[in-house]
Amino acid sequence: MNKRSKEVIPGVEWVPGTGDFIKINEEKCNGCGDCVKVCLGRCFGLRRRKAYVRSLKTCFECAACWFVCPEDAVDFSWPKGGTGLRTEFG
Amino acid sequence: MEKYDVIVVGAGFGGPAAAKKCAEAGLRTLIVERGQRPGEKIVSGTYVPLFGAPDWIREGNPPLERAAYGWKYHFIKGGDIYLSIKVSFPFPISYGMYCRPMCTWLAEQAVKSGAELRTSTTAVDVIKEGDYIKGIVTDRGEELKSDILIDSEGLQNLLAIKAGIRKKYIPDAIELCLEYDFEMDSADVDRIFEDHIEFHFAMPEEKVIAPLGQGSVVYLFPYRNSIHTCIGQFLKHEGEVAQTSRLLETYYENYFQTRRWKEVIGPKAKLRAKMWDTCPLYVGLFPEMHSMPRCGNGILLIGDAAGFEDTSSGAGIANAWYSAEIAADVAIEALKAKDTSAVFLAKYDELWQAHPVLPRSISDRGRRNLLQAQKDEALMVKLGFEQWFNSVYDLIPMLNLMKPSEIAAMLPKV
Repeated sequence: MNKRSKEVIPGVEWVPGTGDFIKINEEKCNGCGDCVKVCLGRCFGLRRRKAYVRSLKTCFECAACWFVCPEDAVDFSWPKGGTGLRTEFG
Repeated sequence: MEKYDVIVVGAGFGGPAAAKKCAEAGLRTLIVERGQRPGEKIVSGTYVPLFGAPDWIREGNPPLERAAYGWKYHFIKGGDIYLSIKVSFPFPISYGMYCRPMCTWLAEQAVKSGAELRTSTTAVDVIKEGDYIKGIVTDRGEELKSDILIDSEGLQNLLAIKAGIRKKYIPDAIELCLEYDFEMDSADVDRIFEDHIEFHFAMPEEKVIAPLGQGSVVYLFPYRNSIHTCIGQFLKHEGEVAQTSRLLETYYENYFQTRRWKEVIGPKAKLRAKMWDTCPLYVGLFPEMHSMPRCGNGILLIGDAAGFEDTSSGAGIANAWYSAEIAADVAIEALKAKDTSAVFLAKYDELWQAHPVLPRSISDRGRRNLLQAQKDEALMVKLGFEQWFNSVYDLIPMLNLMKPSEIAAMLPKV
């Protein structure tokens, strides 16, 4: 279960229609779980020794996952223009 | 296919400043921004020194929240503050601002100067003609051509990587920051913070400060009728990746149990936002990071995209403005000379290297190794104080040339 999707995160809005802007390249992924460790949005999980994207609905587009992956297995790009995270209080 | 003299990617802090200058020089200038409104995708929690900021920002009445007249450093042990140091100045050393209103205002000034702004537009790739960067491709598949691309996209550098001139920053140089924002009555902000920014230090055993934190601090920034807090954690340190996602929230909970928060601040603070972002806080300390190019054929990088972070003030925003103005000047000259080659644009490197502040951000000059301080309490106090006081050293020559009242007169009233 993605606990994050149950939590209301105050002060921020997510606009749908982002597309799958973060993907895991399963061939490159070594299952280390570093992306799971660093993601405050709890967007990732591990199954069958590979990382996978649970949901990008609480993604802050920070790219911590992409920075931390030792195998360059996180394909990170920006969500479609005008979608994804919005905040007035950053 | 649309054609511009200059395309600026990113309506954050640097982008609009570069675009305004280019537009004022008569260049056909476009800013593309992936958010619906400029600044809505930036989480920074920021206080910015305005001494060397462009005149049009200092004098233009931007949406500043509050002026800070100094810093307070609090050292925590056993859940309480046991030592405090207050450093005060007779003029504002820094100004608090929220990114969305500030970046929207900056972009408005660029548009008033003649730049075009396209929001909700993501630049997904560069256009290459031979060895030259000649524009961008948007997420709608539009090809927008430029003679010069000014890349102000931030630390992720996705376009600059596609352009072949940058590589991804290493996780050791990247801090993940969890930031909370609280409403607070302005009279309470006045009384509790006294127009001073606060930094809290603690040894690792207090479990208040993230163990792989930059300087073992919790930041508290007082705004007009709100406060903004930040606890940060490096993604990787000495080969170790921490369980950041849980750790930062736990440490916040621990911080909220310390006496000053629990009894003084917390009762007056109402949580209204929880946000996070990555920050290129130590890029300047890694030679392989700060030696990457900042220009190429048809492209200039500014701000965090160029690695111009600032560990001392924590906000690379002033650096984004300085580098934006220099890049715009070079772009204007290059277009006059009809030469957008890397050789010509290398003038950008000459100029930023001669700037009084920018080179400091990518060297170890004036930094203190607070990661070492986490092992020694006396050292933590010493270096904690020096780290922030060091950014004041730049003020001393100015104090020799100008009276405090003269300095105060050139800074905005908030």
